[in-house]
Amino acid sequence: MATYSEKLRAQKRADTDQLMNLIGRFSIHLVLTILALCCLLPLLMILSASLTDEIALTRNGYTLLPAEFSTAAYELIFRNPTAILRAYAVTIFTTVVGTVIALMLMSPLAYVLSRPDFIFRKALSFYVFFTMLFNGGIVPYYILMTQYLRVQDTIFALLLPYLVVSFYVLILRTYFAGLPEELLDAARVDGASEFRIFISVALPLAKPALATIGLFTALNYWNDWTTALYFIRSAELYPLQYLLYIIQSNAQAMQLQSSVGMNMGDVPTQTARMAMAILATGPAAVFFLFFQRYLIRGVTLGAFK
Amino acid sequence: MNSKFSRRSFLKSAGLAALAGGFGLSGLSGIKRVSASDHLQGLPRLLYLFPGTPQADVATVQAALSEYMAERIGATIELRAIDWGAFNDQIGLINASGENYDLGFTAPWTNNYYSNVDQEYLAPIGDLLPDLAPGYWASMTPETWEAARVAGNIYAGINQQIFVKPFGPYIRADVLEAIGAADAFKALTGYAGLTDILAAAKDYVDGDDILTHVTYYLDPIMVPENWGFDPVDGLLVVKSTDASAQVQIFSETDEFRQGAELVRSWLQAGFAPADPATLGSGDEAWAAGLFAVRVSDIVKPGGNAEVEARWGVPVASRAIAEPLLTTGSVTATLNGVSSISANRELAVKFLELVNTDPVFYNTLCKGLQGVHWDWADEASLLIKPAGGAASFGDTGYAPNTDWMYGNVFNSYYTDPTQVGAWPETAALNRGARPSPVLGFTFDRAAVDTEVASVAAVVDEFANPIRGGFVDPATAIPALNDALQAAGIGAIRDEMQRQVDAWLAAKA
Repeated sequence: MATYSEKLRAQKRADTDQLMNLIGRFSIHLVLTILALCCLLPLLMILSASLTDEIALTRNGYTLLPAEFSTAAYELIFRNPTAILRAYAVTIFTTVVGTVIALMLMSPLAYVLSRPDFIFRKALSFYVFFTMLFNGGIVPYYILMTQYLRVQDTIFALLLPYLVVSFYVLILRTYFAGLPEELLDAARVDGASEFRIFISVALPLAKPALATIGLFTALNYWNDWTTALYFIRSAELYPLQYLLYIIQSNAQAMQLQSSVGMNMGDVPTQTARMAMAILATGPAAVFFLFFQRYLIRGVTLGAFK
Repeated sequence: MNSKFSRRSFLKSAGLAALAGGFGLSGLSGIKRVSASDHLQGLPRLLYLFPGTPQADVATVQAALSEYMAERIGATIELRAIDWGAFNDQIGLINASGENYDLGFTAPWTNNYYSNVDQEYLAPIGDLLPDLAPGYWASMTPETWEAARVAGNIYAGINQQIFVKPFGPYIRADVLEAIGAADAFKALTGYAGLTDILAAAKDYVDGDDILTHVTYYLDPIMVPENWGFDPVDGLLVVKSTDASAQVQIFSETDEFRQGAELVRSWLQAGFAPADPATLGSGDEAWAAGLFAVRVSDIVKPGGNAEVEARWGVPVASRAIAEPLLTTGSVTATLNGVSSISANRELAVKFLELVNTDPVFYNTLCKGLQGVHWDWADEASLLIKPAGGAASFGDTGYAPNTDWMYGNVFNSYYTDPTQVGAWPETAALNRGARPSPVLGFTFDRAAVDTEVASVAAVVDEFANPIRGGFVDPATAIPALNDALQAAGIGAIRDEMQRQVDAWLAAKA
């Protein structure tokens, strides 16, 4: 029979455990809160700046709440919205079309690489893996795109670069390899062709992986501006992030010029630049919320293997 | 792409030509609008790359320029403006990949001239200029041309513009008036004398609702030109009066110390914000009317009008630095010929045309008469936006970068207050003292590593001193120790060796 003092000790131990647990949770939450704030605050600052009166912004600097509320920057942008609407159209097109084509190319490639009975498996794996480690660099890339493929200044220049990403192919391959062999065998027994097995059995089972890779690819397309920097000359083909980059960097270049005494014309105002940043990032954030659960499941894919 | 472009340009210019014919528009002087005619098809077309915002109406201007060029040099032109933010990257790739173009803007500050020469991306045109561009060649002194000479040859044409940098303070006219310092300001001969005026301006600013500080950045005070030095490369300078051209380290000179102490005392007196990083870019703040003084900027003919346009208030200025002709200031704006261009000689002839023919040059800079601009006063070469447009920007063609294409002294005035500024600027260029090392360019190859380390030290130690944010008494020795550790001595010795060899070769 447990004595009273033993009970008391056990109770005390439980209390201490609970306290330690509480402190542990609290500190973890504190760290995570700080991290979250580090990510959120700059965004809020930009949002607030974009809604601040230009002169008030210059006088008071960046604040979390607009010192003097004004929508002038957004009005300025939407007075002539052609550029930004066009950029949205280009970005949405490349994101949607690019992601669909990319999945159509990467999933069969990943699937055959996952099949142990595929004879060229080693050679093809090496080919994919090798390009992940080594590439020719920017100048050969530029020569390939402009002198052999001749896609400069076309929408294809924006689509091509992310159609097959080796790393994503390897993630997909790992996932396909993890599918229960019995399911595929069952289909085989039922007389399904290899293609039918891929389409009707493997692909539906790989939905989480496809969603993840699709999301990664979509983000690649959405956030891409370097491809446009290298290959796009016509303003009609500027994707959103590049338009944003051009507005910012033109403003910087113009300030550099006016500082050496050369007249450069109008520099977009600070608030207008911030408003552009909000307009360009806002939809991507919504997109992310929508796909978030797939993303979290997706990034832990590798952990199972 | 090319066929698409020419089709579009054809349609556009043909349409406009029909329109012009319909309204019976025709300029008596200047270049008329023309359609993209068949007789130009067989001529070589020069592709000209430069930074700028692509203009809506460029096809019209391009067609007119081509027509004009075809008669004179037997070639046509394609203008390709690359966005400011993309120019350096795109032309870098175009050069590296061997993509064909004929003419390109180059300078030490974008599409770096010296590395282009080093990589053999630019064609040597030193021998072609006197023969194929005689007017252009004669328009500048031999010493000026020397500035563009690298490794024995000239690889780009120089655009005539303001070559000298007579730095000095700008002050808002209303503030100057209110503090009654107009005479003192006019009599300024050095920056130390500005202290009293700044102090009086501070009293005024403190009693004003909109003005927040006397000035913004103090750093421009610390440019070597303000203290009589030619900034040959970074902190390595040569005193403008030193005929023996001894290379000095700017931060080790008495002038640097004096300047740093002055800037420090001004910051401590509250003339400038202690935390300017939160204030955004300078021009916006000035336009918002927050500051009364710009402590140091280039004081040039027509400069007050330009600053007034930016700040929205009348200003007064006073040049303090001696006008000095340096390699860096002469080579600030260049146009080079691609080394793989098949039309090297035609490109040089284009340089002649754009630098000596005001009609051609102004068409490139301002567009077509009657379409993009009209005379406001032809006698004084003053123009206004065509067709009653509110600004040149509304006419469809207003690159507003005359200095990029050629001799700006040929450019038409767009503002009545500018009229007469070009002859004055030309006189300023002519009257400037040539730096003892004018024409010398430093080859960094032997000291590349040291240059990179020194640049890192400058970022870390020198910039706070320039802005007055640290005490010079301790910060300058720390800077100089760090510079020595980074190998600035080796750079100085190498530069001195090159300067001596250059002087010996010149003598």
